[in-house]
Amino acid sequence: MRITPAEVAALSLSIKVALLSLVIILPPGLLVGWLLAKRTFPGKAFLNTFVMWPLVLPPIVSGYLLLILLGKHGFIGGFIHQVFGIEIVFSQLAVVIAVSIISFPLLVRGIVTGMEAVPQELENAARTLGASPLKVFWTITFPLAYRGIIGGTILGFSKSLGEFGATIMVAGNIPGKTQTMALAIFSAVHLGEDASVYRLVFISTVVAFIALWLTERFTLR
Amino acid sequence: MADSPSIRLDFRKSLGSFTLEVNCTLETKVSAFLGVSGSGKSTLLNCVSGTLTPDEGEIAFGDEILYASASKINLPPEKRRFGYVFQEGYLFPHLTVAQNIRYGQPNPRTSSDVIDVLEISELLQRYPKELSGGQRQRVAIARALAMEPRMLLMDEPLAALDSALKGRIIPYLHHIKEAFETPILYVTHTFSEAMALADEAFLIADGEIMASGEPHQLLTAPAAMPIAQLTGVENILFLPVVASDKARGLTSLEIGDQSLVIPYIEAEVGEVVPVAIRAEDIIISLDPNLTISARNILLGKIRDLDIRSERTWLSILVERYHLAVKITHQAREELQLKENLEVYCVIKASAINRLWD
Repeated sequence: MRITPAEVAALSLSIKVALLSLVIILPPGLLVGWLLAKRTFPGKAFLNTFVMWPLVLPPIVSGYLLLILLGKHGFIGGFIHQVFGIEIVFSQLAVVIAVSIISFPLLVRGIVTGMEAVPQELENAARTLGASPLKVFWTITFPLAYRGIIGGTILGFSKSLGEFGATIMVAGNIPGKTQTMALAIFSAVHLGEDASVYRLVFISTVVAFIALWLTERFTLR
Repeated sequence: MADSPSIRLDFRKSLGSFTLEVNCTLETKVSAFLGVSGSGKSTLLNCVSGTLTPDEGEIAFGDEILYASASKINLPPEKRRFGYVFQEGYLFPHLTVAQNIRYGQPNPRTSSDVIDVLEISELLQRYPKELSGGQRQRVAIARALAMEPRMLLMDEPLAALDSALKGRIIPYLHHIKEAFETPILYVTHTFSEAMALADEAFLIADGEIMASGEPHQLLTAPAAMPIAQLTGVENILFLPVVASDKARGLTSLEIGDQSLVIPYIEAEVGEVVPVAIRAEDIIISLDPNLTISARNILLGKIRDLDIRSERTWLSILVERYHLAVKITHQAREELQLKENLEVYCVIKASAINRLWD
């Protein structure tokens, strides 16, 4: 089985993008997850709906909205183009943005589930022992919500690896540039390159399995 | 304990249709709030600890205002320095006993004192799930005490334990009262604990304080009946050993100038042991010269009596100890019992249990 350079590029882009988007969405994910799990505030239902939106929206629709927003004449894209002279759409940055938006709700779901399972009473006990809310978060809430956070991370990471609809809309399918594994498989199938399809499908399956297995081992100790 | 600062509670808190409204000052070393579940005891403690914010009013510790709705003061729990012992312990499951105790960043001397008093030095490396219920509660008490709190808040610390375990923990609580200066706010639904530990008690029902006074005085208060009926009353006394006779299987304890004979226990002369006598196991007699098998005939004086429920409840002063006694109305009528009458309390040795072990 010989893997072509284009396939290697697609694989490494997928992994790179998935890891990068994880690093980007984890801090806001923890913050939003904590807010949704532990706080009551006006507009909570709205925030929850807003964050979960991409989960129920067809990815292609999310992608189209992003395309409009990030395009050279879009609300955000236009601004960035004017100030920095950068074009976001059809770049690797667009892949990262698309993948981050789509996987964010899955990450937050896991974090919320994990944090909701940490009894308020334990956090109150920590407060009475002199811990500030921030110390309570790092020493009680975070370590006890660990499994939920890891679970959300795996789900988000796997979603990122396989994201298709939003990516193709906003980043296109440029081999060696914005072509991820999912997009490479799509192209190979389209072009009838069966051998390439088998290799890419096999690699995807193995990568997904290893990611899941590693985290399982990690969380079960 | 002469001058621990008093704590003033004057606030209102509504939760759904329930409203807690208190106005009282706690001045003694151990104050108890006594009430059935749902009476508002835990709500009160949460407001004092700062984990719950009252709707309006004021909470002050000595001169320091912890909460005041008028001036918008609300000190967060971590700034109040009140140790909180929860009914369920709430030890941090991912930390060892030692780490739990260190969480409040205690000074090392205090934490080693606390570890000694509560006898948990062998448990330090264990995780909470490896502890028994009684051990867990001792660690929870140690964790709260180690941070040198200005006050210890205890929310039914014994309620989750079975009666044998309760008996094991009560002596520790008594010991804490003696060994540390910290004033204690103790919440319970049993008269036994309030009478054994508290200097002053507040009866709380439906979110209101119905009566206050020394715990034994409350026993005959109108609002006390549901509590006494629900849990029964066990008199818990801490008495020094005067003599032990292994051959006869008896140990004598000193109760003022009289003595109390109990089944033999392994204990040094002079050692203070906690014993429990149920209110219904005490027989009242007007005549000390009885030819009976019971080993104890103690002279006492009726301080109070309550006849509202299906039994008569007596509060009898024996030396400086108050005993709760439960008898039938018929017995009270035949003996013509009334306040200030001198009576004899007849107690079988075997009706007296040493707490612990």
